[in-house]
Amino acid sequence: MSAILRLCFVRQPEALLNHPRPPQTSGFDARWLAEAVRLRETASGALEDADAVRAARTRANDTEQRVLIRAALLGEREGLAQAIAAWQPRARLFLLVLAVIALLSGFGAALAVLGDGSRPVNVVWALGGLLGVHLFSLLLWLLSLWQGGRDAGGALGQAWLWLSTRLGGDQNGQVAAALAALLGRAGLTRWWLGTVTHGLWLLALLGALAGLLVTLAARRYGFVWETTILPAEAFIRFIQGLGWLPAQFGFAVPDASAVHAAGSGVAASEDARLAWASWLIGSVVIYGLMVRLLLWLLCVTLYLKGRRGLRLDLGLPGYAVLAARLAPSSERIGVTDAAPGVLPHTPIDKAHGVSGHEALLLGLELRSDPAWPPALPPGARNAGIIDTREQRRNILAQLASAPPRRLLITCDPRLSPDRGSLEFIAELSHHAGECRVWLPRLLADGDPERRSHWRESLRESGLDTRAVFEDDAAALAWLGRGHD
Amino acid sequence: MTERASDTVRIAVVGHTNTGKTSLLRTLLRDTGFGEVSSRPSTTRHVEGARLIVDGEVLVELYDTPGMEDPIALLELIEGFVSSDGGRLDGPARIVRFLDSPEAATRFEQEAKVLRQLLASDAAFYVVDARDPLLAKHRDELAVLGSCGRPLLPVLNFVSDPAANESVWREALARLGLHAVVRFDTVAPERDAEPRLYSALATLLERHRPALDRLVASHAREAAARHAAALRLIADLLIDVAACRRQVPGKAPADIQAAVGDLNGRVRAREQACVDALLALYGFGSSDLDATQLPLIDGRWEDDLFHPETLRVLGIRIGSGAAAGAAAGVGIDLMVGGITLGAAAALGALIGGGWQTLRHAGDRLLGKVTGRMELTVNDAILRLLALRQLYLLSALEARGHAAPRPIGQFADASSALREGSLPDALKRARAHPSWSGLFGDVPRASDRQVAVDALAGELEQA
Repeated sequence: MSAILRLCFVRQPEALLNHPRPPQTSGFDARWLAEAVRLRETASGALEDADAVRAARTRANDTEQRVLIRAALLGEREGLAQAIAAWQPRARLFLLVLAVIALLSGFGAALAVLGDGSRPVNVVWALGGLLGVHLFSLLLWLLSLWQGGRDAGGALGQAWLWLSTRLGGDQNGQVAAALAALLGRAGLTRWWLGTVTHGLWLLALLGALAGLLVTLAARRYGFVWETTILPAEAFIRFIQGLGWLPAQFGFAVPDASAVHAAGSGVAASEDARLAWASWLIGSVVIYGLMVRLLLWLLCVTLYLKGRRGLRLDLGLPGYAVLAARLAPSSERIGVTDAAPGVLPHTPIDKAHGVSGHEALLLGLELRSDPAWPPALPPGARNAGIIDTREQRRNILAQLASAPPRRLLITCDPRLSPDRGSLEFIAELSHHAGECRVWLPRLLADGDPERRSHWRESLRESGLDTRAVFEDDAAALAWLGRGHD
Repeated sequence: MTERASDTVRIAVVGHTNTGKTSLLRTLLRDTGFGEVSSRPSTTRHVEGARLIVDGEVLVELYDTPGMEDPIALLELIEGFVSSDGGRLDGPARIVRFLDSPEAATRFEQEAKVLRQLLASDAAFYVVDARDPLLAKHRDELAVLGSCGRPLLPVLNFVSDPAANESVWREALARLGLHAVVRFDTVAPERDAEPRLYSALATLLERHRPALDRLVASHAREAAARHAAALRLIADLLIDVAACRRQVPGKAPADIQAAVGDLNGRVRAREQACVDALLALYGFGSSDLDATQLPLIDGRWEDDLFHPETLRVLGIRIGSGAAAGAAAGVGIDLMVGGITLGAAAALGALIGGGWQTLRHAGDRLLGKVTGRMELTVNDAILRLLALRQLYLLSALEARGHAAPRPIGQFADASSALREGSLPDALKRARAHPSWSGLFGDVPRASDRQVAVDALAGELEQA
């Protein structure tokens, strides 16, 4: 029995010895805890985990390991690890209680079936009483397997799970839910609860066997069978057919004459009595105990095998979000080359002590546009579009030799202002009597933000808002002013 | 515990000022908090790096650099450098001379940072604002950058803007000998923009091709995992809401009103939890929402879930019989068919041993006998929830981590969910009240998980 109990809770032995134990970060319990933490976070929001994430990232490289380490740290803090530790002895206690009940009821069933020896035992009723419920529940279990319900595991196992989940605090329910979810996703619930169900039935049948042996040893029973409509041949075939399999394991089968005798009255011969008892015990052992034992072994094997291969399903939403933080696909290095303090810049002169004659319009880095150049006021000249280094050099040389009285520099408000353009505007402004910048509206409109960046940059370079035209008519009027 | 492999690919992200270099990094790193992004020119004035990690190994380092601002003058300066004997210098030698010159510490300090980083890198992404015309300063800039002797991969940003001149740029870049050009809109990157970027880079850096291929494969895996997780989040929400059944504690109208209000509140809160989880999954924290406004206000949907107008906008038809309930968003189930559902559930409980289910079936039969009313969330609300979350998901997937503007209203979300029959898994959930976590219980039936996974699969098809 203790083997059954232990197998339901296979744990690392050292984990049981060392208490308080360091947070486990591998094995089944760690994954159980991770699942409990995930369910807790799903139900009531993310936990504060900055330290835990940092620890997980320094201690392991593997994503699942990191999830487990984080869960171990958080679970300890939130009391989930303790709840898991507390769940196990409680569940074991319930299992123990159920096991005792199973043993006793099996024993009691055997006593009730055989009676006090005052009346002969009806073999068919006795066998039915000993194996009937067991076979019926077995049928249900098989049906549930075939039905494919993943929670299937037999009524006894479910009852045990229900008991150990319900009787306990809130946390208890959460860790039980985590266990069920973890095992359920891996398709292990049926084997896990099957272990409990078949284990309990095994104990009940052991109890029944013990009851049979005790009563058969201490009392003298006569065996009969009764029928009103069936021929005796049918009974002989039934008894012998049923006894065939136990006979292969050395159990005796009543011969035809003994069966006949039992049908007509009390079996008198001592041999026949022994054969009947052996037949009854053999049937309980083979069709009850052996079947349950084999199924129990099957469930245990499949459960343990599945448990060993169990991994967290990192595709679950809770873990997927975590994975991005625990094993980020990118991390910042930081600033490797700090920003310069202040970059030197040449101020733009609005007005300069140069007196020229002309009014000059100049386009800086304008793209070809049907609206450009606009009709100029009389006396103003279009100096064209300046883009390349050579064009810049030429216009500077021209201005140096013949400075204009007014210089209107047109900038494309769709572009971003940059230091190079502002420097060049400043250089141009030194060679003109008066210098203004025009951000024309007549060009196709772009991002309004860039226009305001121009205004700002020009102001920083020394051109206040009054020296920057955005109204096309005003710009051209300024260019034509003073010419009569 | 990330290790830096000796052959990490180092890439400098360079370009003219205000072309979206930092935005490109944010999108490639999936990190909305990297550097500082604004529409102002010369926002970034330092060099800042970040690593791309696959399985704990650093495969790529990306360096954000200040914008080039005065390339015409810089090229003029650099072209003036000659060797000590008056002979010609090659490109990299001139750049080294420039970096040692006093101008590199004063007027051209910002440009010097770019060139220093480029010399220390294996290649560079040259980011172009495709809305700008190709000017002489861009040509000079490319000449300066080209002098460093590192492969340049032009990346056309803002290509989805109507003002973009993609073909002009491609032609001009080809004339400068730059034939490998990649479209990459940092605001709304095309689905395959990132793999194309790295595979184009691999053609320039043949030695690093295996690492870049690994990076692309890993990112594809991560994207698929994110998508699957997102669908499971949505399916989880829908199952929670669909499965929910609440008995009204009394028969008075006020009792019903209170119960409906409570249920509505819980459904709203549940939807919000799903929105938060989706945002977190896609790396858009609620603190970043200023920069990434969806049709959400501070991470909350603008339109209330239970307002009839919200349904109308999405084109979800409300059956005439359910209209009164639909305005409240809650169907009142007078337990017609409660018997059959209860019987089916009881049979299932018997076979599967589901105690929960058996208990609920019992509750329902009891309710039938005592004439109590039961509340469920109706189909229209389920459809609305599904459409809204799927819309949010597609918006998040199409969104770069540098997007500054809100995305428009629901363009046209999938119509399969708008009409027609609800997915099977949702119908099944209606018969399993124990699957709902709406009222705080942790649903633990693993059949529920099966249903969630099945529904996620159906949403994928939708």
